[in-house]
Amino acid sequence: MAASISGYTFSSVCYHSANSSSDHEGFLLGEVRQEETLSISDSHIGSSEFLNVIEVHNHEPCAQLFSFYDYAGNVNEENLNRILKDRRKNVIGWYRFRRNTQQQMSFREQVIHKQLTHILGIPDLVFLLFSFISTANSSTHALEYVLFRPNKNRYNQRISLSIPNLGNTSQQEYKVSSVPNTSKNYASVIKEHGTEFFDKDGVMKDIRTIFQVYSALQERVQAVCCEVDQSERVREKIQEEVNKLKEEIALRKRNSAEEERRLQEAAAVTLPDNPALPDSSHSSLTQVMLSGPSVEPSLERPVNSSSPPIYSTTLLPDSPSAILLPRPQAVGSPGHPSPSLGLGNGDGSSSDSLNRQATGQEDQEEDDDEDSSEYENLVSEQLQLPSLTETVTLGRPATLWPDGDAHSPPGS
Amino acid sequence: MNSLSPEVALSRISPELRPLLCSVVRDGRVGLDSSSCLRITDLKSGCTSLMPGPCCDRFKLHIPYAGETLKWDIIFNAIDPELPPDFIFGEDADFLPEPSELAHLVSWDAGKPECLLQLVKELLQQYHLYQCQRLRDSSRLLFEYGSLLEDPNYGHSMEIYAGRKNSWTGEFSARFLLKLPVDFSNIPVYLLKDTALDPGEDVALLSVSFEDAEATQVFPKLYLSPSIEHALGGSSALHIPAFPSGGCLIDYVPQVCQLLTNKVQYVIQGYHKRREYIAAFLSHFGMGVVEYDAVGFTKLTLLLMWKDFCFLVHVDLPLYFPRDQPTLTFQSIYHFTSSGQLYSQVQKSYPYSPRWDGNEMAKRANVYISNTGLEKSQPQSHFKTSFPQFFLRFQFFSRFLNGDYLEDEQLRKLVNAKIPLANFNALTNNKKSFVTVFINLY
Repeated sequence: MAASISGYTFSSVCYHSANSSSDHEGFLLGEVRQEETLSISDSHIGSSEFLNVIEVHNHEPCAQLFSFYDYAGNVNEENLNRILKDRRKNVIGWYRFRRNTQQQMSFREQVIHKQLTHILGIPDLVFLLFSFISTANSSTHALEYVLFRPNKNRYNQRISLSIPNLGNTSQQEYKVSSVPNTSKNYASVIKEHGTEFFDKDGVMKDIRTIFQVYSALQERVQAVCCEVDQSERVREKIQEEVNKLKEEIALRKRNSAEEERRLQEAAAVTLPDNPALPDSSHSSLTQVMLSGPSVEPSLERPVNSSSPPIYSTTLLPDSPSAILLPRPQAVGSPGHPSPSLGLGNGDGSSSDSLNRQATGQEDQEEDDDEDSSEYENLVSEQLQLPSLTETVTLGRPATLWPDGDAHSPPGS
Repeated sequence: MNSLSPEVALSRISPELRPLLCSVVRDGRVGLDSSSCLRITDLKSGCTSLMPGPCCDRFKLHIPYAGETLKWDIIFNAIDPELPPDFIFGEDADFLPEPSELAHLVSWDAGKPECLLQLVKELLQQYHLYQCQRLRDSSRLLFEYGSLLEDPNYGHSMEIYAGRKNSWTGEFSARFLLKLPVDFSNIPVYLLKDTALDPGEDVALLSVSFEDAEATQVFPKLYLSPSIEHALGGSSALHIPAFPSGGCLIDYVPQVCQLLTNKVQYVIQGYHKRREYIAAFLSHFGMGVVEYDAVGFTKLTLLLMWKDFCFLVHVDLPLYFPRDQPTLTFQSIYHFTSSGQLYSQVQKSYPYSPRWDGNEMAKRANVYISNTGLEKSQPQSHFKTSFPQFFLRFQFFSRFLNGDYLEDEQLRKLVNAKIPLANFNALTNNKKSFVTVFINLY
């Protein structure tokens, strides 16, 4: 256990005592706090020590001796309360000043101390003893003080009392103590002018303002997050549609290529009839439309879902455009590695899905471009497929603008 | 600071506290050892240095207890002299008496001068109980204490000091101081009045020190009041037996007590015996008594005559008469030794028995002095005409040397040579004539 007393409290006690014409006593007010010291030694065993520190903040002098006890040392609780009033809960000890006596607790002091410990309910009540020793010719006076902890065993009774900043401050840092300011004047000034700085709860206004700003920012960020989320979802849906349409286009393209080939083969063998191309094409288109990809890729790419990539199921290994088909996933799709067939970063390395997501986005954009180019090619190749063209055209407009909003392209 | 005399201490103490201290320094006798007073040292003041003196209100009180001296600080307040004092019990930091047991503290009255002294006595009682409780550390010593406590003779007049356990050796020591219940009241007053100071109460204290808890090193010592010690013949006359190994106090203390009692009885009896003896001599020798000690009956001087030869007989009765034989000193009233003293000869070996009563002793002494061998022809050995042989011889010698019987030249030379008296016998042997003369005489 350690104890500290502020310099001004100590000097105040000394002043009261030295100016008394005989012995003097009073109470010490303060608090006890616990310090934990964690020490790590070479053996890597961390040990924590708890130290009780008694801090003396103030003192309450008694006007005269025997003010709260009788000749036998019996403490009168009523008188005690009258002296302490509402500061009773702050009592951490008491003190006594006597001139020209030994630094040892006297008989009556011990009796009183026991009773105070019991009445105040403080097991570690301390006792500060001041002794004033004067030489015979009064040339030298020594003020000695000892802090006792009489409730402990007799071999461990004295506690060292430190007075912060009582020393050579040029070599030591000036320490600020944690002693609260108990001055009434200070309290009244703060009360009077405090409303400019403090709100009704005692919190500084600036802090509250800053906190409000922070809260507002936080709300905005949250809102933006929501908007982003929504726009992303919209984008996802559109992306899905685009992908669907791309597939359809691809399918039609394949079918039409087949048709052409067959027609060419047929034309090479016999004179070709003039089939109602539009009808056949229409029927082929219909067929195409009807015979859309048997397994429509579920282009749902939920954000952060763990469903396996859908492209793998729609992969047609012998399709000439198989190389083009496996598209990296869209934003928010689960990070599962797609089949390495045709995938990669071009240098043969395989990256994870997230990277591929990012790259996929770019790739999709590129694909969009490619698709658009292919689409253009498709359009150029199949000019007589206006319906397809229209459909494709209709399917085109999904272009994501940087501001997050989906705008339809002009002219559609 | 050295011990202050009572007057000095009183002069420095605050006037309001003076009556309290007066009773302590003047009449302060506490505990068993009442012969030594309470002492006061280290008078200090609790007032500021600006307070004009005398204003001392705190001091150290030295209290004899169980062979030790307790040094207690007593703290008053000169500003509030009606308040009771506070105490610091020196090295006995554990001693904390119950305030309710101190009646003079609870109802302190500064107006009563003896209040402080009574309070100190009460504290001392509590201190005694505290020391007795410390004996619990040693079962052996606790047994000793318990056994003594049960005996009404010793239980209430006992002081115990239980020494601190030696932290190195773990030893525990204790001292028992017991007041022996010996009655000294019948000791003749004359024996007690030789001390210069007021001897106080006559007391015999037995101090038994146990240097270890198992009572293997026990050192007893007997303390007597100075007057008692003198009355019993000084410290050399008193030897108490050593503490028997394996013995206990409850057996030893009564033994010492009995020894002392016997001695006291002997001294008392000796006094009465001496009185009886002197009375018998007075009745036997009547007019021949020159002087005698009428108080202590230790001395008697008689003036006797035999055939116109007068001599003195001094009778010295020892302290332990009748065990010790009285000394008879014969002294001539005519003759001096070479050193200028009256010639005398001490006689210790004469017929004597301590079992005789005074009359018998006087008779026997009379016989001896009258020298019945010489007076065979005179059956009644009247003491007035009796004296020892050597005086007869001496008388004739002196007359002879003075020339009454001077026939021999050599003898005349002897007279001139002033031969010491001790050589007379040798001289007589050398000269037949003298022997012849003396044979005739004797």
